[in-house]
Amino acid sequence: MEHWIYTFNIAGHSISVNLDTIFTMWFAMLVLIIFALIVTSRISVVPTKLQAASEKIIEFFWSTMDTMMPGKNRQHVPFVASLFLFILTANLMGQLPLRIIHLKNGGELASPTNDINLTAALAILVLIYYVAVGLKAKKFKFFIHEFSFQGIIMFLVELLEMFTRPLSLAIRLFANIFAGEVLIAICLGISAKFLPLPVMFFELIVAFIQATVFMMLTIAYVSSAAGSEEH
Amino acid sequence: MADVTTISEFAKLGAGIAIGFGAIGAGLGIGFATKGLMDGVARQPEVAGKAFGFFLLGAALSEACALYAFVIAAKLVGLF
Repeated sequence: MEHWIYTFNIAGHSISVNLDTIFTMWFAMLVLIIFALIVTSRISVVPTKLQAASEKIIEFFWSTMDTMMPGKNRQHVPFVASLFLFILTANLMGQLPLRIIHLKNGGELASPTNDINLTAALAILVLIYYVAVGLKAKKFKFFIHEFSFQGIIMFLVELLEMFTRPLSLAIRLFANIFAGEVLIAICLGISAKFLPLPVMFFELIVAFIQATVFMMLTIAYVSSAAGSEEH
Repeated sequence: MADVTTISEFAKLGAGIAIGFGAIGAGLGIGFATKGLMDGVARQPEVAGKAFGFFLLGAALSEACALYAFVIAAKLVGLF
């Protein structure tokens, strides 16, 4: 659970980077990019097995968007789908036996989402995206609906929400993955033979659930930002 | 004037209290979610599959509260 921290100086500011998180993140990105390249290189009218599977994945995103956000929603699918696929790949990577490789300074090649910096970056991406969508849909009314006492109070509450939403998104994903790793470590300490196995299986389910939760919350935020207030 | 070792021992105590109270809330939340799922499925058995998806979502959301407490506890004992 220690990170391999690399520190360097740029113009007098010392910047530290968690190298193991970067390696595992690049690995997850590489897996996704290679998958996409392989699937899209051989597209045919009669789909192969791989193409049929990836079409099912896209249909899953479309149906989720249709249930969570009725109306015009197809332009949000690329963002949401890439978030889901990246988080899912990153979470599942934690159960690969890459952790056997010992890095310098106690770093280990676990899932990249056990670092709060990465999940915070994802959450800030979501914040920027939904604020941009809201500004595009409602112009300045996204911040203040009406100039009255209630309007000002609601503006303050929504300003607070802009901080708490990314905070809870980041901490939820990070804490789930991190708690899973701590749980596996504790089970290893009790009995290293068979006790970690069911916990690791549970972590596989948690990986799917947390990716889904992140995606669902992103869709809900974007939908509340883009949707009209008057009913 | 308490010395440093005493303070770190108290931090461990605080970590235990934090994770305990967090677990109470999350347990109540998941319990209520399961109750809602059982009520809904008993009344309308054909929505079981759809309701289970929403149940998992709600359970994960309320479980996150315990994990916030876990993060605080891990900070207190200096796990990361």
